[in-house]
Amino acid sequence: MKERITLALAQISSKREDKKDNLKKIEELTIKAKEQSADLVIFPELCLTGYVVRDQLYELAETIPGPSTKQIEAIARKTGMHIIFGMPELSEKTKATMFNTSVFVGPKGIIGKYHKMYLPTHSVFEEKRYFRPGYQTASFTTALGGIGLCICYDLFFPEVTRLTRLEGAKLIVCISASPSVRRSYFEILTAARALENTAYLAYVNLVGVEDGLQFWGGSRLVSPTGDIVAKAKYDEEDFVLCEVDFNEMRPAEAFIPTLRDLRPELFDELKKRSERL
Amino acid sequence: MRLTPSVLELDLPEVEKRITRFIKEYVEKSGADGIVLGLSGGVDSNTIAALSSLSISGERVMGLLLPEQETYNQKDISDAMTVADKFGLKTQVCDITPVLKSVYKTIPIFDHADKLCKGNIKARTRMIYLYYYANKLNRIVCGSSDKSETMMGYFTKWGDVAADISPIMDLYKTQVRKLAEHLGVPKELATKPSTPALWPEQFAETELGIKYETLDLILYGLERFMNQEEISLQLKVDEAIVKKVKNKWLAAEHKRRVLLAPKLEFRTVGTDFRLPRSTW
Repeated sequence: MKERITLALAQISSKREDKKDNLKKIEELTIKAKEQSADLVIFPELCLTGYVVRDQLYELAETIPGPSTKQIEAIARKTGMHIIFGMPELSEKTKATMFNTSVFVGPKGIIGKYHKMYLPTHSVFEEKRYFRPGYQTASFTTALGGIGLCICYDLFFPEVTRLTRLEGAKLIVCISASPSVRRSYFEILTAARALENTAYLAYVNLVGVEDGLQFWGGSRLVSPTGDIVAKAKYDEEDFVLCEVDFNEMRPAEAFIPTLRDLRPELFDELKKRSERL
Repeated sequence: MRLTPSVLELDLPEVEKRITRFIKEYVEKSGADGIVLGLSGGVDSNTIAALSSLSISGERVMGLLLPEQETYNQKDISDAMTVADKFGLKTQVCDITPVLKSVYKTIPIFDHADKLCKGNIKARTRMIYLYYYANKLNRIVCGSSDKSETMMGYFTKWGDVAADISPIMDLYKTQVRKLAEHLGVPKELATKPSTPALWPEQFAETELGIKYETLDLILYGLERFMNQEEISLQLKVDEAIVKKVKNKWLAAEHKRRVLLAPKLEFRTVGTDFRLPRSTW
């Protein structure tokens, strides 16, 4: 495991329903990330297809592995890069059951994937109409260290990142498609989730306007003490390199010992109470 | 939540940025050569004129002045021209009076005394002009409806609300006035009383029976799921007035949606055909 890794936060806008174009952009930026000595390049939620594609999802979703992930695997193999990106995934066992998925690919192929657990279906969001929620958090032991995945609205539920952290993730990668009116929430939540878990949190958000919904960007790397290590521009495409230094974990955990101080019995109580809400 | 005027305060530079980005992206991605908009001299169209020009430059914005004899007001025209000059819009004036007279003449049941039905013809005729220019010049029609009148149903169905995009539809009238001033629309024009100009001496606040300052707070409360008793209590406004506003808002939903069809088949236009508005 490396002590230090370089991330490329690839804050892009997607061309809706144009996987070819979006894959081309992913390839170009992965090559750029490689040229700048990054280890891992991260793209936003559902960036393969765009976020507001509604019923077209049924046509656009693919199995994993499938044509698009095969292309991404080839890009990762060719560049020796690790890549995380979002796409609508079609279940292998059905014809119209889909997941909002974050895919983690390394130079040797697919490392893993995560199905979004909390699907916003309120205000302008209609994810439950299309997606089945995930039932498992995702943390992977990789050549780059322990890396966990989550997606956008999951950040509102601290149990997702907590579990991911307890499974071994030291860097949690949250891909997102967050519209501008919710910017202030995510600016708070990204810092809070990193701090309460004393973990690095890389947040990569979409930009652009889709059916009037404006995505605000502002991608960032937050340190285990809640500091913003690097931040991308608001509202426009950006590409930001930043370093995760795992040596920072020990002083952070010693200074803010939230993991040492965890009280498991409260989780039992939480379970009981939430069932009776 | 306290319903005070401060809840309607906006981060005006941020709102300007979001709206201009929205307009610019839409025009660019749709492949249109620019924008056509109706210029009445009122605050909403003045604001839209300013925002359109700031988004894609006045060179690519055509402001149409569409006066007619009955509601002709030289002050409105000079106000519209003031804003057009300031923001560098191109303008054309089309007097729609002859068209209106022809329409009136050819409707066997036409009733001159029914000013609402007659006024709606004016709004719909203006829509025809705007869309002719848009088709001919490969442009989009930029609408100027605000949130107050849209929620209240205070517009002509298929008339003044007809447009390809409505950049200020999520801003209440009092917010539009502040945005207008922020954009550089002269204060006198930003605060002048609103009129749909469907008939002479028609003023929005008189017709709605309420000041926009109060109406906007009532609507804001409804938007935030407050109940009418609470809104009435907080604003010290008679609950009957709040109820009237609420009922108007709910009763006008048919004007804000399109194409209601009975559900007969697998996927239905307007209900469960849920498609993106565009693929870009």
